[in-house]
Amino acid sequence: MHKALLLIVILLLSYGFWLSDAFKGIAAGVSIFLFGMLSLEQGFKAFTGGVLERILQKTTDTTWKSFGFGFLSATLMQSSGLVSVITVSFLSAGLLDLVAGIGIIFGSNLGTTTGAWLIAGLGLKVNIATYAMPLLVFGVLCIFQNGKQLKGIGYILTGLGFLLLGIHYMKDSFEHFESTVNLANYAMSGVKGLLTYTAIGIIATIIMQSSHATMLLTITAVSVHQITYDNALALVIGANIGTTVTAIIASFGANIQGKRLAGSHLLINLFTGIFVLLFIKDFGIAVDIISTYLGIAASDKAMKLATFHSLFNLAGIVLFLPLINQQVMLLEKIFIEKRPNIFQAKYLDASAMDFPETVVESVRLESIHLYENAIHIILRTFGLYKSDLQSDNSLKQLIERNNHAVEYDIDASYEKRIKGIYSAIIAFISQAGFTWQMTQSSKLSWLREANKHLVEAIKDTKHLQKNWTRSRTSTNPVTINEYNKIAYQIVLHIQKIESFRHEIESNELPLLSLDILKATIKNDDMQMNQAIETLIRERKITPETGSSLINDSAYMRSIKKNLLKAAETLFLHGTTGAAGVEHQLALNDTEINDVIQTVDDIHPPFNSSPNRSFQP
Amino acid sequence: MNIEKLLHKLQAFFNTDKHKKRQDIEELKKVLLKLKKKERKITHSLQQTEDYGLRKHYQTELNIIRIQRKKGVEVLQQLKDPKRT
Repeated sequence: MHKALLLIVILLLSYGFWLSDAFKGIAAGVSIFLFGMLSLEQGFKAFTGGVLERILQKTTDTTWKSFGFGFLSATLMQSSGLVSVITVSFLSAGLLDLVAGIGIIFGSNLGTTTGAWLIAGLGLKVNIATYAMPLLVFGVLCIFQNGKQLKGIGYILTGLGFLLLGIHYMKDSFEHFESTVNLANYAMSGVKGLLTYTAIGIIATIIMQSSHATMLLTITAVSVHQITYDNALALVIGANIGTTVTAIIASFGANIQGKRLAGSHLLINLFTGIFVLLFIKDFGIAVDIISTYLGIAASDKAMKLATFHSLFNLAGIVLFLPLINQQVMLLEKIFIEKRPNIFQAKYLDASAMDFPETVVESVRLESIHLYENAIHIILRTFGLYKSDLQSDNSLKQLIERNNHAVEYDIDASYEKRIKGIYSAIIAFISQAGFTWQMTQSSKLSWLREANKHLVEAIKDTKHLQKNWTRSRTSTNPVTINEYNKIAYQIVLHIQKIESFRHEIESNELPLLSLDILKATIKNDDMQMNQAIETLIRERKITPETGSSLINDSAYMRSIKKNLLKAAETLFLHGTTGAAGVEHQLALNDTEINDVIQTVDDIHPPFNSSPNRSFQP
Repeated sequence: MNIEKLLHKLQAFFNTDKHKKRQDIEELKKVLLKLKKKERKITHSLQQTEDYGLRKHYQTELNIIRIQRKKGVEVLQQLKDPKRT
């Protein structure tokens, strides 16, 4: 939501709260309800890949089983709205597919009609709101437990509790609306009456968030002859359409599958309603016949209304259940999944596949494209852009500037900037024929490795991000400084790789510069660990922070090593004339270690404090 | 004329190794020169800074370049006189 729109909504809501307490209650009810939805989803996610999936798979693997599942749950819960809300969250959590979801909706539509029988026959109604309090208490108790599954159960119970509490708040706040909806005063006949009372049924159910409440009003009114039987039938149709709003509200917090299911609930109930309205007289006759068969007295309008409710929903099932697959296709067309703006491969052209050299070059260029995106993600994690590398401000100042905790979504960026390109590269390499000379095959294999290094660097950044973000709000300046140092060293390393790229272009012994970068990585790591040990010893940081820093400095080292390995493969390909000679002069690991040891023998002056200095 | 051209080509063919060696020596000399310039530049930077961290960094670079130059000189001597070990 845009910030301006959000502000307008907040202002409007605040004005509404000031005007009416009932409105405040309704809004709070909707909020609690939506929060319950989120909690339910969270809970169901704890069971993905486990028991719940197996139970759901077994109970919803055919349309009839899904139907039975929906019927049973709606009968037990006495609310089709609640069942559809739960099904929306099942779908959002990926536990169900849309076909099974629609099957459950059909079942719950029929299951909920048992409520009308209870109201009409026994005058009883299960008040679901009374379950809210114990559910919340047991739910919170479970959330505080350690086991993942217990926590999941806790979230489900709390979610259910909040759902019921939300409905309860909405109903309570609409109590005075109930008194204004005095059906007895508005008896109407003919088509006009049918349409008007259907609309009243829809509105009343939307307002009260319960078709049961509308049914209760209707059955009571018809039993005391306050409204005509025909008007009552229309109210029932309206209530059935209005009840779909519960799932629609729930789908606001759900993903596209959840929205499709809510859409399906509306479509089924709306078209069933239209169909029944068109053949209302035939349905009236059918109800009379069935009622006679069941032994219901002709004067018992309440029981006949319950019969109509069941018959009406049964008609919907007979009409639309066989078209379940067509419905899915239609819903997928109406609710199109918005894919994020994913970065695509730029250089992997099918025509390049004809020649080994062009394949290698295309993959190399695409890998550089991936490298640029990887660098973007790493820099953004620390609040920087690539342009900052050339900025006049020092890197140190730029990093220190980001002293507030802003979490950059690495997962989303990975999906957007990396996954598409990386997958395309892998697919392209695997399609390339390996009947060529070994040179090309090994080059491709090196390039594949380079891509893997880039992905590894991003993964390490993600691990590092957790504590880096936490460090932004630390009260200990030493902790902040150490994390700034980690970020600085990574960014500086990226800057050095960029210089290395320029050195290749200007033929300034790039291969030999690699030795310096390799030595710097080892040196920085050693210094960092020494500094952390000193800080723990001097009690400047807690051992817990120290251990986190040691882990994170290992991530830092890994990020740098992975980036360097990738850069080496990607940028040193078109070897310069002196490359052969440079190879002979390059240092091996032992020689690099010796250099670091020699430099490490240089002691800092007494007045300087290297461990705390934010310098390379 | 044709025979002369053919003989020249043959001579070039038999002297490929020699030619390659000469080319390597030239390239190595260029690399050593570049390294020397780099060493001077870093030595200058080292003298300019008082910062301990930066000094350590420059010193690392300097030590690496010195080893690279040392290796380069050894390779050059070997190329010029293969009998030397």
